[in-house]
Amino acid sequence: MPSAAKFTLWNRKLHYYLGLYFLFFLWLFAFTGLLLNHPGWTFAEFWPDRKQSVFERQIQPPRSGTDLDQARDLMRQLGIAGEIEWTATRSDPNTFDFRVTRPGHIFEIHTDFNKHRAIVQGTGLNAWGVVHILHTFTGVRLTDTRNQRDWTLTTIWALAMDALAAGLILMVLSGIYMWYGLILKRRLGAAALALGLLTCLWFAIGLKLLASS
Amino acid sequence: MRRLYPIVRDLHLYFGLFISPFVLVFACSVFFLVHAWLPRMGSGGASPRRTATGLRLPPNLDRLENRQRVDAVRPVLDQLGVAGEIDSIRHLPREHRLVIAVSVPGRATTVDLDYVLRVATISPRDTGLAEAFVYLHKSPGPHLAQIRGNWAMTQVWRVLADAVVYVLLFLSLSGIYLWTVLRAERTVGLVLIALGAMSFFGIVYALSR
Repeated sequence: MPSAAKFTLWNRKLHYYLGLYFLFFLWLFAFTGLLLNHPGWTFAEFWPDRKQSVFERQIQPPRSGTDLDQARDLMRQLGIAGEIEWTATRSDPNTFDFRVTRPGHIFEIHTDFNKHRAIVQGTGLNAWGVVHILHTFTGVRLTDTRNQRDWTLTTIWALAMDALAAGLILMVLSGIYMWYGLILKRRLGAAALALGLLTCLWFAIGLKLLASS
Repeated sequence: MRRLYPIVRDLHLYFGLFISPFVLVFACSVFFLVHAWLPRMGSGGASPRRTATGLRLPPNLDRLENRQRVDAVRPVLDQLGVAGEIDSIRHLPREHRLVIAVSVPGRATTVDLDYVLRVATISPRDTGLAEAFVYLHKSPGPHLAQIRGNWAMTQVWRVLADAVVYVLLFLSLSGIYLWTVLRAERTVGLVLIALGAMSFFGIVYALSR
C-alpha cells in the first residue's frame, strides 16, 4: 500500500478511534458546559440541596514543614482526601485554616494547635454538584498564583482534560483532511468551514478590533 | 438504512466542518485553563488612558442595584465609546465613584466614573489572543447570572456556545452510527469504548467517592 493511502487509512481510523475512546469524557464536558451556561436551569440545582455537617476531632499538631506538609498531615489524621485550597493568610502559627475540595465534597478545616483540636465543616453535594465541579476541577486558577495542584487525582483529571483537548484537536485536523479528499464535497464543505471560521474570528478578534476603533 | 447512511454522513461532515473552529477555540483554551498559563499572543498591554468630562448621567445611578444599574450604565458607556460586556460594577459611595469592568474578547476596559463630577477615566488593556480564547470558553458562565448577558454579542455567543454543544452531541451520536456500519472495526471500537468508559468512570469514582 502506498504511504499516502496508508496515511489516509490511519487518519480515518484515528478520527473514529479517538471519538470512541473519548465518548464519555466528551459527553460530560459538553453537557456540563450547557449547565454552566444556564445557571437558571432548576433541575440541575445542587447548592440548595447540599448536606452540611460539623465534627470536632483531637489532633496531633504537625511537627514542622511547609503549610502544605502540615495540611497533608492534618488531612491524614482527619481521614480527608482532596485538593487543598488556601483560603486565608496565616497570621498565627498556632491556628491553621484551609479548605479541601473534591467533586461532591467541600471541607472547611479550622485547627487550633494549642488545644489540639480541629473543627471540620463538611458540605456534601448531589450528583449535579459532582458533574458541575468536574468541569472546572483543575486545582489551579489563572488569577491565583498561591494555589497549586497538590492532589494526585486532580493531576490525573487535569491530564484527562488535556488528553480530551488534544484528542479533539486531532479529530478536527483529521476530519478536515478526510473532507479535503472528497472532491465532490469540497465546495459545500469549504462554505461550512468558512462560515464557522469567520464567525469564530469575529468573536475572537473582530470584536476587539471593533471596540478599539 | 441505505437512505439514512448518506444523509447522516453528510450532516456529520458539514456540521463537523462548521463547528471545527469553535472546537479549536474551546480545546486550546483548555490547556490555558488547566495549567493556569497564558502565553502572550498578540497582547499589546495597556493602551493610553483617556478622560471624558461633562457626561450625561441617568438619575439615581448611585442607588440602583444589579441589572438596573447595569442597564443605566450602558448609555454612559455608549457616550464614552466603550463597548462590551459589563463584568462588574463596584460602588465606592464615599468617593462617589463607580468602577465598571467591561470586557470584549481580547480587551478589558476599566471605567472609573465619578457620578458627582460627571467625569470618567477610561483605561483599556489588550489581553491577547490566549485570554480572548479563555474569555470565550468561560462566557457567559454561571456567575453573576442576574447581570450576565448584558451585551448583545454575549447573548449571541451564548446561543453559539449552546449550538456547539448540541452539534457535538449530534456528531458523537452520528459518529457512533457511522462506526457501526464499519463491521471490520466493530471489535476495536467496542474495546475503545469500554476502555474509555473504564477510565472515565474509574477517575470520576476515585475523585468523588
